[in-house]
Amino acid sequence: MIIYMSENIYQQTVKSKSIARKTNIRIVLKGFMDMMPLNLAVIPWGILCGSLAIQRDFSVLEALLMPLIVFAGSAQLVATELIGGNAPLATILFTTFIISSRHFLYGLSLRDKMKVLPNKWRYPLGFLLTDELFALSTHTRAFNGKVRLLYALASGGSFYLCWLMWNIIGIFAGSYLPDLTSLGLDFAIAVTFIALVIPSIKNIPILVTVVVAGLCSVVFKLLAWELDLVFSALLGMLAGYYVLRFQQKVKRVIKENIT
Amino acid sequence: MTLITIILMALITFLTRYLFIHPKIPLRLNVKMVSFLSFSAPAVLTAIWVPIIFIREGELALSIANPYLIAATVAVILAAKKANIYLILLASGGLFAFLKMGVFI
Repeated sequence: MIIYMSENIYQQTVKSKSIARKTNIRIVLKGFMDMMPLNLAVIPWGILCGSLAIQRDFSVLEALLMPLIVFAGSAQLVATELIGGNAPLATILFTTFIISSRHFLYGLSLRDKMKVLPNKWRYPLGFLLTDELFALSTHTRAFNGKVRLLYALASGGSFYLCWLMWNIIGIFAGSYLPDLTSLGLDFAIAVTFIALVIPSIKNIPILVTVVVAGLCSVVFKLLAWELDLVFSALLGMLAGYYVLRFQQKVKRVIKENIT
Repeated sequence: MTLITIILMALITFLTRYLFIHPKIPLRLNVKMVSFLSFSAPAVLTAIWVPIIFIREGELALSIANPYLIAATVAVILAAKKANIYLILLASGGLFAFLKMGVFI
């Protein structure tokens, strides 16, 4: 009897383990598939980064380290040009900091969502926290629980591997390719972000955020401000926030008048 | 020298991403701040894509001859109708390539 029971329990645990493994595989696949359009959209961009590094006389090791440890899109590209042009170290680092400063906003927004995470997971997630992973982290319960953590690691990790792969193609094939800078490669990035942002406009405050951030980004860019991206985003967020508060206030007043 | 520059750059990009998710940073976000930050995704992503479409070579390009503008308009319409992301990429990307080639011819 005891043997039978323990066998039964054993079979059950084996069964639940295999179910858990199947769920894990499904989650990893889902993360990978959700990131796929973004992985594909950065193919030209990644190839450009890799080939530009070689054209600017980087060694293969240096060109590889850029996507491997710096792991940034525009910062990588701009810094490659600066290093190639023998710019002073302080200029290169300051420019990198400015372009990368939008990530402070991502960290702030995700801080509360990551509150429940064990500390050891914050390092890889922090490293993987690109525009693309942030775009997939808008769910209110993102990063919460094992499943969503696995999802974030899989989607962010797949983006890292793809970015590395596209860079490597650029490093080794860049010299055989035509001049990539004139082909309008940035359009692929713009269109993926359109496809992510437009469907997320579900109410007036978000619409106002998008309109204000968009208008400001054009004006600031034309004025050639260095922090154009961060400031236009902040103004868009402020606008959305105040419209939301105004809406809540109006609702409260109407409610008070009725009762 | 380039190697050291790259390592320092890596430290900077990691720092900007990791700093605020570090648990020991003495920072508690109140309800207002959380609500404000909930707008960060549409705000930042929009501030990235809009200038790509509207500014060409440092100048405002509000003309029908700007392939970015035409193809992006199609993308926005498709996205507003909740079309599949691959369909959006293909349709507007195809149109963009077609317009671009037309310019060269």
